[in-house]
Amino acid sequence: MNRKNSVFDGFIRDNAVLSGLMVISPIIVCGDTVMNAIAMIYAFSAITFISVLAGAFIPKKLSYGVKTIILAAIGAVVYIPVKFAAYDFFPSVMERTGIYFMLIAVNSLITVHAQVKFYRMPKGKMTVSLISHILGFDVVLFIISVIRELVAYGTFCGRIVDADVIISGLGMPFGGFILLGLCCGIYRSIVGAVRKNDDSAGGDSDVSDF
Amino acid sequence: MFLISELVVLLGTNLILSQALGISTLFVAAGSRKNLLWTAITISFFTTAGSFGACLVNSLLPDSLYDLRLLLYVLIIGALYVILLTVLYFADRKNFGTTRKYVHVSAFNCAVMGTLFTISDKAAADPSLDNLGSYIAAGAEAGTGFILAAFFLMAGFGRLNSKEVPAAFRGFPSMLVYLGIISMAIYALI
Repeated sequence: MNRKNSVFDGFIRDNAVLSGLMVISPIIVCGDTVMNAIAMIYAFSAITFISVLAGAFIPKKLSYGVKTIILAAIGAVVYIPVKFAAYDFFPSVMERTGIYFMLIAVNSLITVHAQVKFYRMPKGKMTVSLISHILGFDVVLFIISVIRELVAYGTFCGRIVDADVIISGLGMPFGGFILLGLCCGIYRSIVGAVRKNDDSAGGDSDVSDF
Repeated sequence: MFLISELVVLLGTNLILSQALGISTLFVAAGSRKNLLWTAITISFFTTAGSFGACLVNSLLPDSLYDLRLLLYVLIIGALYVILLTVLYFADRKNFGTTRKYVHVSAFNCAVMGTLFTISDKAAADPSLDNLGSYIAAGAEAGTGFILAAFFLMAGFGRLNSKEVPAAFRGFPSMLVYLGIISMAIYALI
């Protein structure tokens, strides 16, 4: 059955992290506490949204490589005011996030996915699809950071909670690798099961259409 | 003994296994061994040549304009990107359609940009590393580390994509867990 692509696919079915494995370095390294995650969510959402929208005005005639360089440069320019605002909102987190805050400015959603997917859509659809992709990343980062902070440090937003088991390794990058791999597999199982159900339901309607 | 200690240093400073930089690129290239190897080599070019440019930027840029560093690094990598594509085009037009893909994938990613920032931060923390030789050596080391991580992934690639692995975990999810286990082993080693 042919399934029409939805502008909301970026949130679940075509999730940038779990399906596309994009922008996973900040999740693995910085996604160990909720406060880190909120700072990264803010930076990713602001930089990606503004950069991709601004990049939509780049002439289409330019070659792929030139457009990539311009998009990366736009991301690097947008990063500057976002960083200044972040120092007001999250002063204690900025040191911890380190270079990952800067690296978000050249994430693959801006440099690659924008050209391959977003700019082939009409502007309205592109904006909705972009927001759904950004939300997809934000939700995954938030969920993973909650799990990691609870299990690795026994805290939530820095406050101690009554956790029976502490696995401190989950706060390390290797813990991030393993947890993200497991989440990716679970996500695939769920999406696969949903698709199976959809296909069997769709199959009936296709037959009746004949 | 020297080789062993160098290998341990290379593993310990490996940007993929210790800092998860360039993971997405590694997985994009993981479709075939040839892609993986050529992407790793192209990334090594960008980290080595880019570190030369980063050294120049850091020595010329005043502290008051520190926030422009990202933009200038992007422009350096952009210039290298154009130069490499031009060289490949004139060197071998026949295979340019294939070779340019490696350049597109390797130019702007966390592995390259992260290397430049990591080297700069190390040089800022330790003035003895703030010279062109150290920058280029660190860039080459980061590129070699990426090649090493690519070899690790290539070693397990067949098994991680085999039918013995449950369908939901086949491929990327199992590769992430695999890299996590290697990363954990290296963490324990150091």
